[in-house]
Amino acid sequence: MEDRDAAPFGDDVEPAIRRIDSVSAAAETLDASELTGPMRTLEPSIQVVWILRASISAFLLGGLATIGSVVAFDDATFGGVIFVLAFVFGVVHAVLRYRIWRFQVREGSLYLERGVVRRVRTVVPYVRIQHVDVSRGPIERLFGLATTVVYTAGSRGADVSIPGLTPESANDLQDRLKQLAIAAEGDDAV
Amino acid sequence: MQLHPFSIPYRAGESVVRLAWVLVLLVIGTPQISGAEGVGVLVVVWFVAALAYQLVYYQRFAYELTEDTLDIASGVVSRRKREIPLRRVQNVDIRRNVVQRMLGIAQIDLETAGGSSTEASLKYVSHDEARRLQAEIGRRKRGDEPDAEPAESSELFAITSRELVLLGIVGIDLRLLSFVTVLLPVIAPSLREQFADPLLGLAVTAPFIALALVVAVAAVGGLFAVANYYGFRLSRSADELHYERGLLQRYSGTIPVEKVQTLTISENVLARRLGYGSLAVETAGYAPGEGGSQSAVPLAERDRVLSLARSIEPFGEPTLERPPKRARRRYAIRYVAVAVIAVTAAYTVDRFTGLAFAWYVALGLVPLAVVAAHLKWRHLGYAVGENYAILREGFWTRTTIVVPHYRVQTVLDSQTIFQRRWQLATLVVDTAGTNGLTGRNPRALDIDAVTADELRETVADRLQIELRRRKDQRRKERLASIEAAE
Repeated sequence: MEDRDAAPFGDDVEPAIRRIDSVSAAAETLDASELTGPMRTLEPSIQVVWILRASISAFLLGGLATIGSVVAFDDATFGGVIFVLAFVFGVVHAVLRYRIWRFQVREGSLYLERGVVRRVRTVVPYVRIQHVDVSRGPIERLFGLATTVVYTAGSRGADVSIPGLTPESANDLQDRLKQLAIAAEGDDAV
Repeated sequence: MQLHPFSIPYRAGESVVRLAWVLVLLVIGTPQISGAEGVGVLVVVWFVAALAYQLVYYQRFAYELTEDTLDIASGVVSRRKREIPLRRVQNVDIRRNVVQRMLGIAQIDLETAGGSSTEASLKYVSHDEARRLQAEIGRRKRGDEPDAEPAESSELFAITSRELVLLGIVGIDLRLLSFVTVLLPVIAPSLREQFADPLLGLAVTAPFIALALVVAVAAVGGLFAVANYYGFRLSRSADELHYERGLLQRYSGTIPVEKVQTLTISENVLARRLGYGSLAVETAGYAPGEGGSQSAVPLAERDRVLSLARSIEPFGEPTLERPPKRARRRYAIRYVAVAVIAVTAAYTVDRFTGLAFAWYVALGLVPLAVVAAHLKWRHLGYAVGENYAILREGFWTRTTIVVPHYRVQTVLDSQTIFQRRWQLATLVVDTAGTNGLTGRNPRALDIDAVTADELRETVADRLQIELRRRKDQRRKERLASIEAAE
């Protein structure tokens, strides 16, 4: 981010029409290689967030099953079993999900790998980034986490979001992606 | 500029029709109002009120086409002023239904990229005005001088009556027919022997009634296709495609060639047999579910469809590769499993309930499942070339999607746990286009996992290369124009 402070936007205005030799200068002042990085994983505490979310749905599911089983068999064990099963599934899923999740700020694109049942590896070229958000839900705030959401014009919409980041690293990632998107000169995003 | 004066009574009439159900409720809910007279009075009162509102709307609505923008000021309660940069306009569509055609008015819609709905729509202007706006917006986007000759337009395709009739037949959804024909022989005989009373008659005829219904639905579908594409014409002028179509409701629109995202060639079973196909182009202008892709050729001989597609995107004649044979094995296992479940279900019903089904007929599903697996596999294909990715899928309706690399938004490959066992993966090449007509994502289903991994990176790399090439090209053009000016 020192980069940006050293050369704030709008300081030196580039003419709209430039000679060939001067054109790429703007892109080169942003040193892309400093913004990229190695493959990264999420903060471990995201597992707790996911487990909490899973336990909420396990609770709801278990509650429904309890009502059902009490009405049908006059016995609540079935509901308990369902709750435990759903909860265990949620925990295992959260742990696996954390272990699988990784992302990398590469040279020309953002790379993400995720998914337990359906493993998805996505490449988002920086040229295609429309805007980058940082969002923090209530549970995330509780655990000091944030999500960076990357929007493209793709028909699948905003399904590129990176959860489980510290607020600082989420903001940092947002900044990097913004600069990389600008450097990639996304003048024809569509 | 203002809307056409006829838009006042037309819009008022529209609101009466739109709120017809409110009128019905009112009539039912209020005992005092009864009979045709009551309804008549209500309709008239409503119409007059709507007329007054629309009059104000009309007076408040003004639009102006400037050199770079279309400005619209509108609103009765809350006022709104908009400037739409013409450079951003993707499509300009005109539509007229029968009543509008009699009144000589038309609706004109502007689409821009990124909007979740139609950016602006003028309801309603005179047809001549609509055509003028369409032509003028096209001209100003090109940056031509006002007195420049209108761009030369050449006709690319006009539907013949033969093709129109074929379209009516081919347009029938075969899945409906096949469903009924498979089910009929299984159910009908057993029912006939089971019931010896008047119910029998109904039970036996019911499937036939169902069949008749399906045929009727198909026929209506065919008629719709014919009405929709009657008088279809596609022409190209400079950098825009222009189409016209419709029997009762006339549509006319422009598609800027440089905004075309993907091309989709679709051929259903019947069309394939007859050697026909259709072509649709997707642009980024439309919101999902709004029918974003436009038919460029509703139906024509395959060769013609392909050559038209190549005139828009010169993708050459790549040979498509099929997924590995183990993908076919995977489908066979999956389909046979489903067939076995069906047979078991039929047998159980036959054995443990009073209904005597000819359950053994369901055994025929097993070889059918194998055939289906083969057909599914046979109609899959992909080719990732230098400038284009071509992705094919579908037996009932085979769609071949041509994606130029520089239109790619994101690339991903995905693997479900079932695919992992077979080392297969699916490659999805996402663009900003909306596949309104087919609803299919451009994807290569069940290709080798390692290949998918490589292709994902290949497509992303090709996008970068293409973008750099196009940037260089634009720069050269810009410099050339500066030097020419000097």
